Amino acid sequence: MWVLDVALGCLLVSALLAVHRTLVGPTWGDRVTAFDFLTVNLAVLVVVMALKTGFSALLDVALLFSILGFLSTVALTRYLLRGRVI
Amino acid sequence: MDVFVLLAALPATPEPQALTLGRLEQALILFGSVIILTASIGITRFPDFYTRLHASTKLVTLGGVSIFVGVALAFAEAAVTQRILLITVFFALTAPISAYMIARSGYLRGLEPHREAGSVDEWGEGLEPPGADH
Repeated sequence: MWVLDVALGCLLVSALLAVHRTLVGPTWGDRVTAFDFLTVNLAVLVVVMALKTGFSALLDVALLFSILGFLSTVALTRYLLRGRVI
Repeated sequence: MDVFVLLAALPATPEPQALTLGRLEQALILFGSVIILTASIGITRFPDFYTRLHASTKLVTLGGVSIFVGVALAFAEAAVTQRILLITVFFALTAPISAYMIARSGYLRGLEPHREAGSVDEWGEGLEPPGADH
């Protein structure tokens, strides 16, 4: 199915652009933003992979990716704002 | 008891088969992936931190939810739909929260926004010093 190949290509290119912004980003805010975008992007990529392979257990991987991405973003911003996490 | 005997007694896992996609699912998945590609172009090209955050958060919510709905329609199973509904609700709840926290910590730690003629910073006056306990 060419639609899934095109979708995977778009998601791969956007993940590479997010990695570029994570490595280059002039301020730490850019890095945190690009990292948050990268985790969401990988979760969506895993969901499309689950559809392409027909292997529905990959959806749990996507759920785990999104939960870990949100938790890491919250911990990172709280640390950068207050100097402690909890 | 030997583990391999137990494994051999299990029924064979069914071979995953290729799904056929309807027109609606194809349109949703293609739309979502193009929207996410647009968000990443915005992250790369926009001038400062706040505009990059704007591009990332809003477009990712739209594109991700669209792709999730397309995949749930393509699978058409109850268990898959429940899990995708869980992921979608989690996305819709946490994407604004994380964007709010990133923008707030960036502003309070003093990241400078990109300014043009006519830019207004309404929160700038009467702001507590950074590091105060909120």
